[in-house]
Amino acid sequence: MNYIWKEWKESIRSKGLWLSLGIIIIVSLLMLSRSSDFSLDQGFYLLLINLFEGLIYFVPILCLFLGAFSIFQEKEQKTLVMLVTRQESTLSFLGKKSLAIQLVLLAPTFVWFFIYLIPLKMNFVVDLRHYFLFLVALLGFILVFTQIGVFIGSISTSRMQIAGIAVVVWFYFFFLHDFILLSVLPTITHDNVQLFSVAYFLNPIQAVRMFLESGLGLYSFGNMSRLLESFMWLSPSVFFGMNLVFWIGVTFAFAVLLHRKEGS
Amino acid sequence: MKKILSLLFLFVLFIGPCRPGATENLQSMIDEASDGATIQLENKTYEGNIVIEKPIHLIGKDDTTIKGDGTGNVISVRAEGVTLENIAVENSSMDRNSSEEYAAVKVYTNGNTLRKLSIKDSFHGIYLSKAHHNTIDQVQVQGSGDEEIAGQGNGLHIYYSNQNTLTNNEIEGTRDGMFFDYADGNIVLNNKMTKTRYGLHYMYSNENEFKNNIFTFNTGGAAVMHSNGLTLENNQFIFNYGHRSFGLLLLSANDNQIENNTFYMNQRGLYIDQATRNTIRDNHIYQNQIGIELWASSTDQIFTQNTISDNTIPAVTLGGTGNNAWSKDAIGNDWGRSFPILDLDQNRIGDHSAIYQSSLYELIEDQELTYLFLKSPAISIYEKMNELLNKSKIMFEDEHPLVSHPKKQGVLWIVVLLVLGVVVMMKMKFFPSKT
Repeated sequence: MNYIWKEWKESIRSKGLWLSLGIIIIVSLLMLSRSSDFSLDQGFYLLLINLFEGLIYFVPILCLFLGAFSIFQEKEQKTLVMLVTRQESTLSFLGKKSLAIQLVLLAPTFVWFFIYLIPLKMNFVVDLRHYFLFLVALLGFILVFTQIGVFIGSISTSRMQIAGIAVVVWFYFFFLHDFILLSVLPTITHDNVQLFSVAYFLNPIQAVRMFLESGLGLYSFGNMSRLLESFMWLSPSVFFGMNLVFWIGVTFAFAVLLHRKEGS
Repeated sequence: MKKILSLLFLFVLFIGPCRPGATENLQSMIDEASDGATIQLENKTYEGNIVIEKPIHLIGKDDTTIKGDGTGNVISVRAEGVTLENIAVENSSMDRNSSEEYAAVKVYTNGNTLRKLSIKDSFHGIYLSKAHHNTIDQVQVQGSGDEEIAGQGNGLHIYYSNQNTLTNNEIEGTRDGMFFDYADGNIVLNNKMTKTRYGLHYMYSNENEFKNNIFTFNTGGAAVMHSNGLTLENNQFIFNYGHRSFGLLLLSANDNQIENNTFYMNQRGLYIDQATRNTIRDNHIYQNQIGIELWASSTDQIFTQNTISDNTIPAVTLGGTGNNAWSKDAIGNDWGRSFPILDLDQNRIGDHSAIYQSSLYELIEDQELTYLFLKSPAISIYEKMNELLNKSKIMFEDEHPLVSHPKKQGVLWIVVLLVLGVVVMMKMKFFPSKT
């Protein structure tokens, strides 16, 4: 609880959280204005999809920076050394710190999207179950990238290093991962498509997108070819869940294993 | 006295007013009615199935339902000039092994009016079988939704039926919203089709008019196959979004006029294969993953005055290069901001061609999984990389592209920017950053 309270106080004094929340609020309001031209029943889904497509451009990089700098601040202010030497192991410190960062980031986002329901209700017919699904997708997305950010903060020794690694990670998931898969696409056959599917859904952006679009009933998998059937060998929600568990687990484990205490 | 009462009782029992609720009674009410009579139904559930063999008006109230016994058509119309109005119809046979395809209302005759019907739990909603000059208005058909395609019928099934008018109907969750099979000269206005396989499906049906309809959340918005001379105007094809979905498919469809429609957020806005001489004019094709997918087997299409913008791929030509025109009478299309066009003489027509090159065509042709990547930002890098390696091919060349109008900024933009400015100023003043 102390960690959460400390994180909250530090976050509201710094610009990062406000900037991130501010951008999310602005983008969601702009998307609302764009979608309000459409009819009551279509507009809601158009808004959710457009909003999600808008948010995935900058939410990952913001989460990476917020997660990383929050850890690095402990190094800079030498509070990390005090915490770890006196009472905490690295594992316990990173666990509590991760929980605190995630909660501090997720709670205001959740609150904003709760408030956002008011203009939404005024403009569209809102399906609350589908809206909740959208929130799950968005919060899951934030969860993964913030945790990767924690990993970056844990292994970095300078702010420059954080900036560099964060941009590379963002670039990888945003462009490179899919680019590599596109390049090998001509070699994909029915025999190796399941492996390809694993690689495809390893990208949190694709896993979350597929989870959301199929959950909203927009992306149907009816009348699939044999190849596509083999590709979708698990349901999108299972792929999404596994992606979450994998990235959060792996990055946390490596954050503990490769942790560096010093910061310049 | 006893005898008189008993006789009266028997008289009432056998001769008295019909008991609604029994099949034979609704049927007998119909049978006993004279030609042109109006039968006003009560707020209750009548049991079907019924056959109408004379021109009558069957008018229901808000809660009037005719429920079939699940063995055939709930209402069969075999006379001309019948009106069915304000009735819920449900529970037709779903049998697929029968020689007949069943429906909630099956019409075999001409000049009937079906208005304000609400249909559910039936194989087809309304089936016009060799029936002409009928009017179907304000009918709602609710299909079973997620079941296998073959297990569901169509919302409105028009079979060998001509000159019918279908207006203001709403169809959801059926196999096809409206299916036209060998049906010519029908007028279809102001309908909504959602969550079906194809919102509209034309097979071997010519010279039909299709205007002001809305297709949303279907696997395919409208599939026009082997049909010629159609007019599709002012329709909206929105959010037909699934794997290999499309807004409008033209397959072996010729001489159709597709004008002033909106194709928004479909996986493919227009998908054209083996089609010739179609005119695609003044449509708004935007934010689709592929704006126009054009197979080389299609020739002599004319694309003019369309707004084709903000699509991941504006247009892709597959299977070779067909002979299609991207402008007519020196008027091309507006390709949006991604095609910066000079217009020094300010006549709204660009001073040079709009040319689009792409390398994705091979992948799309050969590998269906390519569609999974169309929303990925990696597509742009892939395209650039292949452009540098000279692996791109020209997808279209619009010699007379239209120059985009600058968009008006909404008031909300100004409000948001003001709020942002105030917030930043407040933060700078009241929340100095911690160093």
